[in-house]
Amino acid sequence: MVLLENDSFLTELTRLFQKCRTSGSVVITLKKYDGRTKPVPRKGHAESFEPADNKCLLRATDGKKKISTVVSTKEVIKFQMAYSNLLRAHMDGLKKKDKKSKSKKTKATQ
Amino acid sequence: MPYYQTWEEFARAAEKLYLTDPMKVRVVLKYRHCDGNLSIKVTDNAVCLQYKTDQAQDVKKIEKLHGKLMRLMVSKETHSGAMETD
Repeated sequence: MVLLENDSFLTELTRLFQKCRTSGSVVITLKKYDGRTKPVPRKGHAESFEPADNKCLLRATDGKKKISTVVSTKEVIKFQMAYSNLLRAHMDGLKKKDKKSKSKKTKATQ
Repeated sequence: MPYYQTWEEFARAAEKLYLTDPMKVRVVLKYRHCDGNLSIKVTDNAVCLQYKTDQAQDVKKIEKLHGKLMRLMVSKETHSGAMETD
């Protein structure tokens, strides 16, 4: 598991999408994150831990390689702009409804 | 596992599930370019909501919901009263 900075994560995610163009799938998991890095002990005294409430954890994988990043409040606006553009740019393999292909028209006229 | 038929129903149920317990919920996107499929799953390990699509117009909707949940997750107030429901 590789924990990356936000910019590095976006770069690696782009590579994942490019790699999975022909085969395989990209899975992205998003969840809220309280900053905990160690498990909660069953018995004994847990470490003094102040849970953060301003973070989320983003993971991505192609089944072979895993990447992840933590996004906090001050980073979310910048991160999200780039992330949204990335998703829209790379998730372009889906069907377009009620739209005829331009290439078909060109072939018909020629 | 039931797949929701309309996006509106799914989005409403997903937001409701998130607000129930934000710390337990996770959102999973799965994109297959070779098949032209995109699916989204929101679960807290008790309830599992899924939506599957092959339409390009749904990519934007899924991406918007994803972004909305992320903003909710990083906001200080976990129970935000101002929900700008679509």
